Amino acid sequence: MTSPVAFELPPELAIDTDIARRVIGEFIRGQLGQAGFERAVLGLSGGIDSALVAYLTAEAIGADKLLCVLMPYRTSSPASRSDAEEVVRRLGTASELVDVTPMVDGFYGPETDASDLRRGNFMARMRMSVLYDRSVTWGGLVVGTGNKTESLIGYTTIFGDAACAFNPVGDLYKSQVRQLAAAMDVPDSIIAKAPSADLWPGQTDEIESGFSYPELDRLLFWRIDKRRSIDEVVALGFERDLVERVDRMVAGAEFKRQVPPIAKLGPRTAGVDYLYPRRRPGSARE
Amino acid sequence: MLARMDTIRVALAQLAPSLGELDRNLVRHHELLEQARADKADLVVFPELGLTGYQLQDLAAEVSLRLDDPRLADLAAATEGLSAIVSFVEESADHRLFIAAALLEDGAIRHVHRKLFLPTYGLFDERRFFGAGDMLRAVPSRLGLGLGIGICEDFWHLTVPQILALDGAQILINVSSSPGRDLAATNEVGLGTATSWRTLMRTYAQLTTSFVVFCNRVGVDESISFWGGSEVIAPTGAALLSAPMYDEGLFSVDIAPADIRRERIGLPLLRDERPELQLRELARIIAERAGMAHDSTSEPGAEPGLDLAPGDRSPHPIGFRREAEG
Repeated sequence: MTSPVAFELPPELAIDTDIARRVIGEFIRGQLGQAGFERAVLGLSGGIDSALVAYLTAEAIGADKLLCVLMPYRTSSPASRSDAEEVVRRLGTASELVDVTPMVDGFYGPETDASDLRRGNFMARMRMSVLYDRSVTWGGLVVGTGNKTESLIGYTTIFGDAACAFNPVGDLYKSQVRQLAAAMDVPDSIIAKAPSADLWPGQTDEIESGFSYPELDRLLFWRIDKRRSIDEVVALGFERDLVERVDRMVAGAEFKRQVPPIAKLGPRTAGVDYLYPRRRPGSARE
Repeated sequence: MLARMDTIRVALAQLAPSLGELDRNLVRHHELLEQARADKADLVVFPELGLTGYQLQDLAAEVSLRLDDPRLADLAAATEGLSAIVSFVEESADHRLFIAAALLEDGAIRHVHRKLFLPTYGLFDERRFFGAGDMLRAVPSRLGLGLGIGICEDFWHLTVPQILALDGAQILINVSSSPGRDLAATNEVGLGTATSWRTLMRTYAQLTTSFVVFCNRVGVDESISFWGGSEVIAPTGAALLSAPMYDEGLFSVDIAPADIRRERIGLPLLRDERPELQLRELARIIAERAGMAHDSTSEPGAEPGLDLAPGDRSPHPIGFRREAEG
């Protein structure tokens, strides 16, 4: 049964959610198994991306093997926390609350002129640090929760929320995340609310970026997945200014999606001409 | 060769190989061969690189097997009274690596097919790590039928199933590691890759009036998931067995060789094929694409294209061309 909550799903982005669940389940089990792990840990924000990944991971390996870490900052919305707690309650996973306020304020001090961008990135990297610490204490791999839309336009913090051992939803646009979340009975309040980085009260992704997710998802789908030219997507009805702006964002974020280059000096160089699978015989922990 | 059997039990080993773990995969192959024997299978088909996993990259040279490797001999020894197709990285005597599929029968390696078409585009990078095979042959089998073996991308080229059928294959066998992609809800069975393969297999079966056996792996290597969905298609194009997507297992069906004769008498497409016509026209096209003959089918003023050599504007072949006049 799917959730009755309303959201806009452009028809060309609709996916077969049964197949998606199956593929992602195999992927999660495969990634953990090849690394010699049975458990997983993720940061649960109260937003739809991490909620969906919690549902998918719990379905793939069992809720008892997943640790959800809630990491609010003092300005985080109380609704985010209650939504995250509802996910934990419904799934029955282990959870932990880690307030990142002392870490962030301890660095900047209470009075600071640091921009929201700097503070937001710092918060994301503190959360990453907590997750990788809990990766050791819980004995699980860190599961990424970033979606394809934000990865493409670069709405991520490098080595922050983008850091993970593997990402089950990084090839799903935001609209597809909503579709899959609805199919998995993620709480309506999470599906319905406006996506937000939750760095300050009232912040939403769509106000900050100036376009709606369904529109942005459709544009990215036609430009990237379907290889349409700028002129061709303009003919589909997209504003040329928007198309060119999004193109620049995608190009500008290329560096966030790739492993940093190493200066080629020796005979064999990782990522250049030393090419192995991430997990191979001998690489699983004992 | 044995007399033709009334029915042949085909077993598809839709397994999930462990990447780079040759010994572990060998054990799994032996187990499935024994299971197939207990199920009275006549032909057991394993997927592409079932012995090694697919996304090997530089591991390819570390899991390669020479054809005289005792581990292959052990596997062959497990095929007394059986035909089996297994796939691995073959290292030739001159140290080239190939994606190979071997027909093992009654304890011996009867035939080895080296993958001819190595996809190196999109998510594929095979040409970087492997050499391409140079030979395409149907092979007689103890089943009393000719087998035509191709590996994955080989069947995305029309010539492969056609040449195999013309060479005497009555069962076309494709072993694959096909990565699933395109989950658009509009796809038949929910997966674009599956839709494409299902269309191809039915089309080849009908056009070659042969059985088509497709064995695709399951499991995950790195980012990519393999979708299974192995099939056996009758010479009419009808599906006799469609294994589930993503599930590991051994799936069997009986096929009747008499169906080949029935279909070929009723629909004599192979009888009517014109290989000599193809050969003649291909010779012409090859010469024209190489600039060794004037393109006889191009429009005046046409841009260089697939069948038109760059700069080909005159009846004089490249190398013998005079300066353009006026």
